[in-house]
Amino acid sequence: MGEKRKKNRGEAADRFERENENGEYENEQRKKQKKQIENKGEILPSMIKNKEKRSEVHAKLKHQKKLDKRKKIKARDAAEKRALELGEEPPPKSVPRTIENTREFDETVCKPDDEELFAGNDADEFSGILKREHIPKVLITTCRFNSTRGPAFISELLSVIPNAHYYKRGTYDLKKIVEYANKKDFTSIIVVHTNRREPDALLIIGLPDGPTAHFKLSKLLLRKDIKNHGNPTSHKPELVLNNFTTRLGHRIGRLIQTLFPQDPNFRGRRVVTFHNQRDFIFFRHHRYIFESKESKQNDAESKKAKDAKAEKASQEKVLARLQECGPRFTLKLISLQNGTFDTKGGEYEWVHKPEMDTSRRRFFL
Amino acid sequence: MPRTTTLECPGCPPLRAVTFDALGLIKVIEAHGKQGAVPKVVERWGEPDSSKCVVAASIIDRKIDPLLAVARKTGMIEVLSPINGDRRFMVSNVDDAGLRPEEDAVVGLHLFATQKSDLTSRSCALLSCTTKGNTSMRSIQVPDSPEGSASIGSSRTWSVCASGNISCSKVDGSENYALFGGKGVEVNVWDLENCAKIWTAKSPPKNSLGIFTPTWFTAATFLSKDDHRKIVAGTNSHQVRLYDISAQRRPVISFDFRETPIKAVAEDLNGYTVYIGNGSGDLASVDMRTGKLLGCFLGKCSGSIRSIARHPDFPVIASCGLDSYVRFWDVKTRQLLSAVFLKQHLTNVVFDSNFDDEGVKPSVADPSLDAEQIASETEIRDKEETLPVKRKKALKKDEASKKKKATNENEASKEVSIENDGLNKKASKENKSSKMLKSKKRSKRSKHEALNNAS
Repeated sequence: MGEKRKKNRGEAADRFERENENGEYENEQRKKQKKQIENKGEILPSMIKNKEKRSEVHAKLKHQKKLDKRKKIKARDAAEKRALELGEEPPPKSVPRTIENTREFDETVCKPDDEELFAGNDADEFSGILKREHIPKVLITTCRFNSTRGPAFISELLSVIPNAHYYKRGTYDLKKIVEYANKKDFTSIIVVHTNRREPDALLIIGLPDGPTAHFKLSKLLLRKDIKNHGNPTSHKPELVLNNFTTRLGHRIGRLIQTLFPQDPNFRGRRVVTFHNQRDFIFFRHHRYIFESKESKQNDAESKKAKDAKAEKASQEKVLARLQECGPRFTLKLISLQNGTFDTKGGEYEWVHKPEMDTSRRRFFL
Repeated sequence: MPRTTTLECPGCPPLRAVTFDALGLIKVIEAHGKQGAVPKVVERWGEPDSSKCVVAASIIDRKIDPLLAVARKTGMIEVLSPINGDRRFMVSNVDDAGLRPEEDAVVGLHLFATQKSDLTSRSCALLSCTTKGNTSMRSIQVPDSPEGSASIGSSRTWSVCASGNISCSKVDGSENYALFGGKGVEVNVWDLENCAKIWTAKSPPKNSLGIFTPTWFTAATFLSKDDHRKIVAGTNSHQVRLYDISAQRRPVISFDFRETPIKAVAEDLNGYTVYIGNGSGDLASVDMRTGKLLGCFLGKCSGSIRSIARHPDFPVIASCGLDSYVRFWDVKTRQLLSAVFLKQHLTNVVFDSNFDDEGVKPSVADPSLDAEQIASETEIRDKEETLPVKRKKALKKDEASKKKKATNENEASKEVSIENDGLNKKASKENKSSKMLKSKKRSKRSKHEALNNAS
C-alpha cells in the first residue's frame, strides 16, 4: 500500500509536474502564437477553426471594444465639462460619417456662381411658368384600371395642388391626352399608375414640350391614416425643395416647381415639402403655426420646434408647431425623358441603369 | 475610410475635339501629354443663347486653313476657324417661302474638302439640308477680311422629298454622293454633280402579323469612305439596316438593337465596323459584314446619344448627347478613356485631327495666303485618300489583333485586305447564309457582282 501510495503520490507529483510542464508548454505556445499574431499583424476570430474558441475570442474582443468605446465617450464628456468649467472653447463636436457626407465626388453638382447654369435655366422649358408668364394648370389622370387607394390618393393630390383637375382616363392613349391637354392650355399632366389597387408610379409630364419624369411611388400614407392629421385649407401652399443639388436634381426640382403656383398665400400657412435624401424624394404636407408662449413647459411637447429655438426672446418664446395633413409618400426617379411622353421614340436625358449601382455613395439628384 | 469606387479612366491620347450644345456654345476640349492625359475644356466660343442652338456642324480637317461650319436654329450657317473660333463668314439659310426657321431647321450640313475644278480658288462649297427637304449647295467666296461679307458664287437648290421630314443626311468620302432619309422618307442617294436621285430604298415587307412599320430613319451613314454603295441606317423602331445600292432596294442585313431609337450611327475607318448609339445612352460597335454585335461601350452613360465621331488617327471615338458629357472611348478595348462634363445638352462633336501636343497650333491661314498652296494641299490629300496605304496598314493591325481572338475569321479578313472587292464577296457570302434573301434576288445580286468585277 505504502509503496502504492508513494507510487500514487509519485504519479500525482509526476502528473502535477507534467501538467505544470504542459502549462508552461501551453504558455509558451500561447506566447509563440502571440508572437505569430504580432508578426502576422492580426488574427481575426474568423480565422480560428474551433468554434468554441472562436466564439470565446470574439466575445472577448467585442467586450473589449465596448469598454474602449465607453471609456472614450467618458473621456470626451469629461474634457467637454472641464472646458465648460474653465470657460474655454469646448472641443469641436465630431460629425458622424454617413454615406451622404462621404458621397462620391460629383462634378455635375450645381455651383451658385455658374453663369452657364442660369443661362440654361432661362432657356429651359420651365422658365415660362417660373417667370409667372403662365399660371400652372395641372391635369391629373390615372392608368386605365384604377380603384380603392388610387382615387383616394388623387382626391388628396387635388387638395394639395391648386388648379388641378381630374380627368377620367377612359381608354384614351396618353399621347392623345397630351394633345388634348396642350389644346386646353394645361401646363403639366400627372398620371398616377396603380398596380394591384395600390398606387406605385407617378408620371409628371411638362407641357407643351417639357420633359417627362417617371417616378416610382412607395410608402404611400393617406390622410386618414396619419395620426392627428389636419385638414388643409384652399390657400396656395408654400413649396420647400431640399437637396436638389446636381444638374439632374436641379431639373427635377424645377419640374416639380412648375406644378405649384409661384405666389403662395403666406396667410394659409400651408407648406408642401419635397425633400431629397439619397435620391429618394420624400413628400410631406404640413400646416404650421408660430405660437408665442412664456412658460417653458411646452418645450417638451413641441419636439419639432427646434428651429424656433434660435428665435428665443428674453421672456417670450416663439414656437413653430407643425401639423401634418395630406398624403405622405416617397418618390424615386426612374427616368427623365426629353420631350413629352413617348416610350417608343423618346430620347432619354437620364435613365436608371443597373450598372450605375456599383457604389452606395453615388447619388444622382 | 469609406470605400468609394472610382472609375479608373486611363486618359486619352493627345487630341482636340470641338463640341456644340443646345445653348449655341462651342467648346474646345484638348488633352495634352503622351498617354493618359485628362482632357479639359480649353476654350468656349459664343454667348449662351437658346435661340442659337447648334443643329448641325461639319469640319474640313486639313493642315492649312481648316474650316468649321455650324448651322444654328435660327437658320444661319456660320463658318468659323476651328483654331481660334474667329468667324469667317455667315450665310443665311432662311427661305423666302415664309416658313419660320424653327419649323424648317437645318438637319444636315457638309463642307466640301475637295475643291471642284470649276470653282475658283479660295472658295468653299457647302451643302445644307433642312427638315422639309430643301437642299442647297453653295459655293462661297471666302472674304479676305474676317468681317467681310461672303459672296455666294453659285448655288443650286432642290427638294429631296415631297413629303415627310428629313432627319439625317450624309455626304460620302468622295463627296460626289449624298444620302437623305427621315420620317416618312426612305433613304435616297443623290448624285451631287447633276443633282439627280440615283437610288431609293424600298421599305421592308410587312411582318408575319401583317403589320407594317412606318418609315422613320433617324440616323444614316456610308459604310466605308470610298464606297458610296453601302449605307447603314438606323430607324426609329430601333432597327439597324445595311443597304447595298448595287444589290437591291431592300435592306441586305437588318437587326434590332435594344429598345430605343437609334440616334447616331458612325462608321469606322476599316470599312466594316459601325458604331451605333441609341436614345437611352447605349453605345455599341457592330460588324456590318455579319450584322453581329462586337460589344457595348459600358460606362454609366444614361442620356440619349446625339453624335459619335471617330478620330482619324487614334483608335478613339467620342460620343456626346443629352447627358451633357463628352465621352472618349477606346475602339479596341471598348473602355471609357475619359468623360468631360459640359453642362448643356450637347448636339454634336467633331475631332480636329491636326492637333499638335507641343502646343504649336497649326497656322491660322491669313487671308492673303496663296490659294494655290491650299489647292495643292487638298490635291495631295486627295491622292492620299485615293491610295489606301494607310487603311491597309490599319487593317493589317486589326488582323494581328484579331488573330489572337478569332482564327476563324482570319482568312476572311485577309481576303478583304488583299482584294478590294473582297468585302463585297464576303458580304454576299453572309447574305447567302442569312435567310433574308430569296434565291431570286441572290441571282440578281451575283450578276451585279460579276458586272462589278468585270468593270
